[in-house]
Amino acid sequence: MIKDYETLIIGAGVIGNSIAYHLSERSREKILVLDKKFPLSGTSGSTQAWVWVHNKNPSWYAEFSMYSAELYPYLSKKIGDVEYKRTGGLSPFFNEADREKAEKLAEAYREIGIKIKVLTRAEVLEKEPHLNPAVAGATFSKIDGNVNPFRLVDMFMRAAKKQGVEYSYYTSVTGVEKKNDYYIVKSTKGIYRCKNLLLAGGTWSREIGKMLGINIPINQLRGQILVTEPLKPFLNYTISGMRQANNGEVLIGYSMEQAGFNRATTLDVIQETANLAQHYVPAIRKAKIVRAFSGIRAMPEDGFPILGKIPGYDNLYLAATHSGVTLAPLIGTLMTELLVEGETSIPIDRYSISRFS
Amino acid sequence: MDKATIICRCEEITYEEIEEVIGHGAASFDDIKRLTRCGMGACQSKVCSHLVLQVIHEITGKPLQEILLPRMRMPITPIKIETLATNSTEFSTVKSVLDELELEDGKVK
Ligand SMILES: Cc1cc2nc3c(=O)[nH]c(=O)nc-3n(C[C@H](O)[C@H](O)[C@H](O)COP(=O)(O)OP(=O)(O)OC[C@H]3O[C@@H](n4cnc5c(N)ncnc54)[C@H](O)[C@@H]3O)c2cc1C
Ligand code: FES
Repeated sequence: MIKDYETLIIGAGVIGNSIAYHLSERSREKILVLDKKFPLSGTSGSTQAWVWVHNKNPSWYAEFSMYSAELYPYLSKKIGDVEYKRTGGLSPFFNEADREKAEKLAEAYREIGIKIKVLTRAEVLEKEPHLNPAVAGATFSKIDGNVNPFRLVDMFMRAAKKQGVEYSYYTSVTGVEKKNDYYIVKSTKGIYRCKNLLLAGGTWSREIGKMLGINIPINQLRGQILVTEPLKPFLNYTISGMRQANNGEVLIGYSMEQAGFNRATTLDVIQETANLAQHYVPAIRKAKIVRAFSGIRAMPEDGFPILGKIPGYDNLYLAATHSGVTLAPLIGTLMTELLVEGETSIPIDRYSISRFS
Repeated sequence: MDKATIICRCEEITYEEIEEVIGHGAASFDDIKRLTRCGMGACQSKVCSHLVLQVIHEITGKPLQEILLPRMRMPITPIKIETLATNSTEFSTVKSVLDELELEDGKVK
């Protein structure tokens, strides 16, 4: 038996869920979200989850990220407490030569309304007393923060379900076919027919594209994170490299490796990450690591989000990006506008997949 | 089991909370862990993992051997950062955010 839906979303990570939630606010038509496993089994469950803006580059990308960060407080009001904290973000540098670069960043971003302060050594240590006194300075912006990614996805899902969205987990999409005005989606649990098809398969996007004969240029980039035992609150800000969660655990790491879909944690990167932790915050050396995890980023070939309609295919949409936690509220909002109104309030043309052809 | 039974002592997660997320489709230990924090506590699920499998089995009727076990990860027991660190200041895969900022003709893009 074929089941009919107006819109089918492949992928129940933070991106697929944000779109499902926002779309269900605006549309009463039937929406189905499929996931080959379970929400948070993909990249959204193995992330640092900084909501990060201030040193995204170029400036248009930072601006795009800022719009998304601005949506978080309102989103938390709507879907519930996702432990979003606008802590302010601090990126330390240890080489005085970096100050010039930092000043240039601050100057360029002032124009687009992202306020960045370049801090002296004394100012950094005043803000974050546990940082290494060898620090030369830092860039700082109030716009940055972090969120609990587990709660975020869970709350999106619960709110979407309340608004009528259906989910099917452990349902792997194995083939997609266009038939007249519909897409026929074959899965391990059955066959679905939909008018709108939205691809939100994260790091698996290239594989899903192949089912339709479309090249989606998404590659894999592994990241490994260390988690400490709960420590009494001692970090005031989200530091690029580490953050302290509400329960006191510190999440440390900013590693990037090409390892395909291999989600192992490896000793060499764990050691480097421990070095980073000590280098940033010497006192943390006595803290115990209780857990290490690894996640596979969806990395578009040029590093920027791929969003919007897929040219040449009616009613086929794609949202694949790195920094999906930062961007989820905005991407959910804009993709909904695109589906409901056919256009977006903020232009997304530069994020079209057509830039790769 | 009683609904109020504590399944995960470290995180104080009850049978009822686990039952609720199983109702949402969670089918493995990790599915439950990510939604409830059950198993993410100080003992890193050493105490609760078997109980959780039992609960999944009881509620879903799935045979125990078909329920996915938690992924085992380093470190097996908590370990101090200074023990892991090597004191090397060379970073090959771990980056600094500002290093990633590339200038074009001396200007921020
Ligand atoms: C170590 C690390 C640190 C990070 N830090 C940050 C950060 O600080 N800030 C930030 O904003 N971002 C960060 N990211 C990136 C962020 O986590 C991701 O961009 C985001 O989670 C992507 O969400 P997604 O929904 O696109 O992908 P996913 O969460 O991976 O969801 C995609 C889903 O699609 C499903 N799927 C795939 N193929 C199929 C199929 N054929 N059929 C059915 N379902 C399918 C998968 O099962 C999966 O659940 C980090 C990532 C990593 C790895
Ligand atoms: S009892 Fe569950 S983590 Fe310790």
